[in-house]
Amino acid sequence: MLVEVVQTQTRDVLDVSGLVRRYGELTAVDGVSFHIRSGETYGLLGPNGAGKTTIISMVAGLIPAHGGTVRVAGRAMTPSKTEAKRIIGLVPQELAIYPDLTARENLKFFGRLQGLRGRELTRRTNEVLELIGLNDRAGDLTKKYSGGMKRRLNIGIGLLHRPTLLILDEPTVGVDPQSRNAILESVERLSVEGMAVLYTTHYMEEAERLCDRIAIIDEGRVQAEGTRDELITLTGGVDRINLRGGGSMSRAAEALRGLPAVQHVDNDGAGLILTVSDGPTALAGIVTGAGHAGMSVTSVEIVRPDLESVFLHLTGKALRD
Amino acid sequence: MPGLWTMVAKDLRQRIRDKSVFIFSLIVPLALMGVLSLVFGGLGEDTVDLQPATVVASADDADQLGAALLGAVDSLEIMDVTIKRVPAADVRHETQASGADLGIIIPEGFSNAVLSGQAASVQLVEGDNASLESGVLISVVQGVVDQFAAGTVTAAAGGLSGLPRQDLAALARHAAAGPSLLTLTEGQAAAEQLSLRGTLVAGQAGLFLMFTVGFGVLGLLAEREQGTLARLRSMPVTGAAVITAKACTGFILGVVATTVLLTAGSQLFGVSFGSPLVVAALILSVVTAATSLTFVVARLVRTAEQANVAQSILAVVLGIAGGAFFPVQGTGFAATLLDLNPIGAFNRGLGISAGGGNVGDVTGPVAVMLAFAAAGLLLARILPDRGAQA
Repeated sequence: MLVEVVQTQTRDVLDVSGLVRRYGELTAVDGVSFHIRSGETYGLLGPNGAGKTTIISMVAGLIPAHGGTVRVAGRAMTPSKTEAKRIIGLVPQELAIYPDLTARENLKFFGRLQGLRGRELTRRTNEVLELIGLNDRAGDLTKKYSGGMKRRLNIGIGLLHRPTLLILDEPTVGVDPQSRNAILESVERLSVEGMAVLYTTHYMEEAERLCDRIAIIDEGRVQAEGTRDELITLTGGVDRINLRGGGSMSRAAEALRGLPAVQHVDNDGAGLILTVSDGPTALAGIVTGAGHAGMSVTSVEIVRPDLESVFLHLTGKALRD
Repeated sequence: MPGLWTMVAKDLRQRIRDKSVFIFSLIVPLALMGVLSLVFGGLGEDTVDLQPATVVASADDADQLGAALLGAVDSLEIMDVTIKRVPAADVRHETQASGADLGIIIPEGFSNAVLSGQAASVQLVEGDNASLESGVLISVVQGVVDQFAAGTVTAAAGGLSGLPRQDLAALARHAAAGPSLLTLTEGQAAAEQLSLRGTLVAGQAGLFLMFTVGFGVLGLLAEREQGTLARLRSMPVTGAAVITAKACTGFILGVVATTVLLTAGSQLFGVSFGSPLVVAALILSVVTAATSLTFVVARLVRTAEQANVAQSILAVVLGIAGGAFFPVQGTGFAATLLDLNPIGAFNRGLGISAGGGNVGDVTGPVAVMLAFAAAGLLLARILPDRGAQA
């Protein structure tokens, strides 16, 4: 039993257990637990104000927790634990760079604080400048940079010392599509290289694309956790088919309710909305049955369940409310 | 403290690069010193050039003491005096008509009256344009008449004792012409008072020191606003190291700026502050006090903008009370408050140093400044951090 515990501790880069944080009467984070393994990208998905940044702040040791523990590579993390901070890299949601220093000076300053010196500092600075595509502008003051360039530097600073755990707090907020894609590609590459990544976002597509596992956060609690597919099964795994057209829609609805794959049919006057267990397979029989019942179908849409559906299913509200 | 000097070096580089520290710490105070020196340039000078003066006088040529009195006026070394002799009845009119500085009417039988112990009156007529020169002349006449009065008193005392008349005159003459037994000796003390120009230079240095040290600790608020404070706190450095680095930055800037200002001010305006060692001790003390105040401000405000306003108010209040624009003095409780002002203590210390005082002589002002620093740090520890609560 003891051997099993030790193995778990060494495998988990981050272990968060029962985390609590209060602001006066408000409990912003309420008993949050999760863990991240090496090479895993873990997403915290939730709307603005769900508590994601507060969780990140405790994980990065910026603020103390009022309950629970955070362990990074087996070391307790609190605001005073400087050793634990050596193995994390934080990319805050807000830009955290000095506008009157150059990109190279920003990188070297934070690199020195992380303990890098001499040639190693110079080498890592050059590598990161290459990685974030700012080599040509490394000597310019960052106040002259575009928003996307600042964002890339903001991320680069977090990567400089090759952290064991990289924490990215909504890194694509306010970023143009091109820079956003570059950021997502960088995160994918880091994950492949074995870095553990904690990624918060309220963009469902980013969580689906990047994250091996996702925790859905709302009102300071983990509402559900798992892989994308595991989360989607929480909705029952059903698809939605929208049939649009004219003719006898009430007769068609009656006829389709008799099909084995169809669980539910709604007639909204402009068409039929069906809940089915396997939409693509059942589609042909549904269209044929509707036609035989007197409905002239003009358009068909299959809506597969996604994390938005999961969030709606779990909380009763849309992700971007 | 790991990372301390890395943060200090970065802060100094930023401050030098944005040039605001040069403007607020050196250029503006030097310019103000120049302007104030021009405005108050005539005041506080150690010497005054007296203008030539004219005296209208009436006296009997045969009267020995009357001639002696006018001779004393005529032979003044500090100013040229021209004496115009007229009859007694014309003195007032002539003084007015000629624009003379003073008229003197010495009565007939003045010497006899003095030497026999009788009352005698010397009349003075002040010119219409009462001037510094008139005042000087009146003082001189008063001094001579006082000396003659000693002869009168002596003659009167001798008469009461029954001395022969010829002996009375000799005694009176001797008393009137003899040297003063009581003398005033003017010397220079290590006074806690700088010259006016010295006060302006020291006061401006103290005033702008309050702005300069603000570039340190108050930089924490700028870091918070630009998001870099969160990143610093995620680094393997302690919170104490971050704050200490800011304090060191403000301290270094303060020491350098004050040293440059005092040096440049003393050269440009011809002021000497005395021993460099004493001045250095005073600079270190006042910068420590000013830096401690920035900790208090940093706790009380929520934004860098609020901090700048608060720091400016404190700088102006403490600077003016410390004599940045003109010497300020008070009595009672006000005097105690002024004494506790670190800028005022700094100026007092410089006054002692300029008067030849040594390190031991400035322990009072240094103690005030260090006590102020200790109180500031203690207050900053007690006060809640409003910025962090924002």
